[in-house]
Amino acid sequence: MPNVLRRPWLWAWLAAAATFAATLALGSGRGAGGLAYAALSFGAFAAIVGVGQMLVITLGPGNVDLSIPATMTLSATLALKAMDGAPDTVLLGLGVALLVGLGTGMANFALIFLLRLPPIIATLAASLVYQSLAIWSNRGLRVKPPQALAEFATGRTLEIPNVALVGLALSIGVWIVLERGVWGRWLLAAGQNPRAARLAGVPVERVRATAYLSVSVFAAVAGFLLASFSGGAALNMGAEYLLMSIAVVIIGGTSIAGGFSNVPGIWGAAFFMFLVVSMLNTYGAGAGARSVLTGVIIIGIVIAASSRRNHA
Amino acid sequence: MTQNNKLFSAAVIGAISLTLSGMTQAQEATADKRVALSNNYAGNSWRQVMLQSFEETAEQATNDGVIDAADAYTTSENQATEQAAQIQNLILQGYDAIIIDAASPTALNGAVQEACDAGVTVVSFDGIVTAPCAWRIAVDFEAMGHQQVDYLASRLPDGGNLLEIRGLAGTSVDEQIHAGIQRGVETHDAFRISGSVHGDWAQEVAQKGVAGLLPSLPEIAGVVTQGGDGYGTAQAFDAAGRDMPIIVLGNRQDELQWWQEQHAKDGYETLSMSIAPGVASLAFWVTQQILAGEEVPKDLTVPFLKVTQDTLESVLEETPRGSVANTVYTLDDAQSVIASADNG
Repeated sequence: MPNVLRRPWLWAWLAAAATFAATLALGSGRGAGGLAYAALSFGAFAAIVGVGQMLVITLGPGNVDLSIPATMTLSATLALKAMDGAPDTVLLGLGVALLVGLGTGMANFALIFLLRLPPIIATLAASLVYQSLAIWSNRGLRVKPPQALAEFATGRTLEIPNVALVGLALSIGVWIVLERGVWGRWLLAAGQNPRAARLAGVPVERVRATAYLSVSVFAAVAGFLLASFSGGAALNMGAEYLLMSIAVVIIGGTSIAGGFSNVPGIWGAAFFMFLVVSMLNTYGAGAGARSVLTGVIIIGIVIAASSRRNHA
Repeated sequence: MTQNNKLFSAAVIGAISLTLSGMTQAQEATADKRVALSNNYAGNSWRQVMLQSFEETAEQATNDGVIDAADAYTTSENQATEQAAQIQNLILQGYDAIIIDAASPTALNGAVQEACDAGVTVVSFDGIVTAPCAWRIAVDFEAMGHQQVDYLASRLPDGGNLLEIRGLAGTSVDEQIHAGIQRGVETHDAFRISGSVHGDWAQEVAQKGVAGLLPSLPEIAGVVTQGGDGYGTAQAFDAAGRDMPIIVLGNRQDELQWWQEQHAKDGYETLSMSIAPGVASLAFWVTQQILAGEEVPKDLTVPFLKVTQDTLESVLEETPRGSVANTVYTLDDAQSVIASADNG
């Protein structure tokens, strides 16, 4: 079998390309540029949270961050409230968002490490606290982002959406760390067999702490960008990114059993998740049919990707 | 003739004083009653304003001695099972009435029946329950859908392509507004719905859905919505560089502000309508009337709050930044809603 067929990211990209073509087929090829631009914009948010989730899932079975939606909401709410729409406060807002990300990441890891709670329980419980903090801090009032920030978030550079450029930069950073850095090797080793990794001298707890901090910071950045992009933070803005963050990781070819990461696949999967909804909307599928078809297509891709890997 | 006039005035004065004394009596009758609000969800700005309206009304009423206590409880997970358990707790705590914004029209009926059997008055609003022993303060969502198309027909006599933004799939509100829009399009057959997306009543979700569908859509003349999705839709049209259609809005402050800006720029006009979150205060006063022993029909209808070009400025002034246009209802409003249901 040719080498390229064994690439786990291939299936996500093939699926994205197929849905792109199918969506355009109905409009007889019109609007390709518009659709690609929209996919890049909205795929970027899914990709940023997906890359974070991937780091945690790579740690092995049971590792997942379910507090991503609440962290996005809290970071966006506090950052936009701090900026209050005033000019020259963009750095302040970004700082608040990053601090929120670090804070929720540390809180999550403290619950997991100190109290020995399973990550699913710890992050789910913590997310109720973060969501309540977001409600309490601003009672759902939608504060507009500063003009310059809104223009940046919705703007483009060289015909590529700025949010996609930010997402790409973050992804390339993670990709380099995973492929070329020591920490990346440690992460994979810890995910494949934590006991063996510990015996081999890998600081497993430090690796785990960094992964949980990273996913929170990525979620906080995504929330900050999304709120700037859509004209304000809303209390339910993170809701769809819980399933999305896990789906893009799995469709993208990262092993759910841990110990194996794949950054390029995340982007293919993020495009696919956006395009499949666009495709079904374009064909006028009802909400029920859309949910069923989305589920069936996802299962199909995961089966295709994993069976190739096993045979390879 | 003079005699008749005198008699008439006497009757009027008598009626007025009767009403006044009746009112004080009705208020005193509930001075020792305790009321609880069981709310299924607090995660958006509409619900936050709703809770605030309830708390303000309840606090005022408690201070005035109209009622002993009125406490608001919200479930954390928006689950019918969780809310049913909460209602059972409220029965055990001995509340005289439970006001419900329900997670499901049918799934709470068991708990609601238990409350009725225990002698607790149950009033549902916004998210209503179908249990026959409960009162319902409902919005005519179908009319809300139909009126959007009526308005577009008045603005665009030649018709055109419409984009429909739907709400949260599987909810009764979404089904009802959608049915109203469908009937509207049948009435005004120059219109055609050429695309629809689910915006889940959230600007981000609507923006994403519309951005993905727009490239395959023809020229769009108007957009019918469900509330909380108009601004996101406008942003998607803007980002795609398409001509701005007439988007029927849903009373969110950012939508109204956007409308004002567009109007200043090129005379853009539209219509905005939604239920006022203050419907919670209406539910409070209706409950108070029931507890006071008034005859109240089981099914009441609350009018929706409309914003037109003429009222835009004043509504926008009163609406806090980032919030939802609101009306807080009074005892008088509750009485007139009850009276109109009696006549209807």
